[in-house]
Amino acid sequence: MTLSRLLSRVGFVSRVGSRSAFTSSKTDTRNPNWLRVGLAFGSSALLWALLFKQHSTDVHEYKVRNGLQ
Amino acid sequence: MGSAADDKKSLPPPGIVNRNSVWLAGIGWFSAVLQNAINHRPPVKSGVHRQFLLATVGWFLGYHLTKHENYTYARLDRDMNEYVKIHPEKFQPKEKKTFAEIVEPFHPVR
Repeated sequence: MTLSRLLSRVGFVSRVGSRSAFTSSKTDTRNPNWLRVGLAFGSSALLWALLFKQHSTDVHEYKVRNGLQ
Repeated sequence: MGSAADDKKSLPPPGIVNRNSVWLAGIGWFSAVLQNAINHRPPVKSGVHRQFLLATVGWFLGYHLTKHENYTYARLDRDMNEYVKIHPEKFQPKEKKTFAEIVEPFHPVR
């Protein structure tokens, strides 16, 4: 498609930063997006697990190199 | 001397709690709070999952940054000490004079 066609389509996408009286609605604070919450907590848990694993690997590696202290 | 990866592993690893982790986790948390404030939400009480995630990301990055920092400083120290060892003539201890030897004798006029 031509560039101007593509750009005119962009105007129909509603974004958080730009509000139009015609398309906006208040964010529904009573019903959280549980999928997003779950993903956020899940990835946090994953990162913590990775961190602890990496740390224990590093500690083990260091001990092995310096004679199992 | 071994490869770079080899050298990195011979350093003691930083603790889980380290300065960079705490600072970057604080930055992550604060950016979540700031995002809440900008979007007219209660800053600290809302979006706890976001605050936790960003703080976690900061903590994770901080740990690896500390590892990189330790390695960089260790490498610099090692290179510096090797240079000093190779060029001892440049690092002779200087003869130290006390002030009494340098200044003129003191004759008080009272």
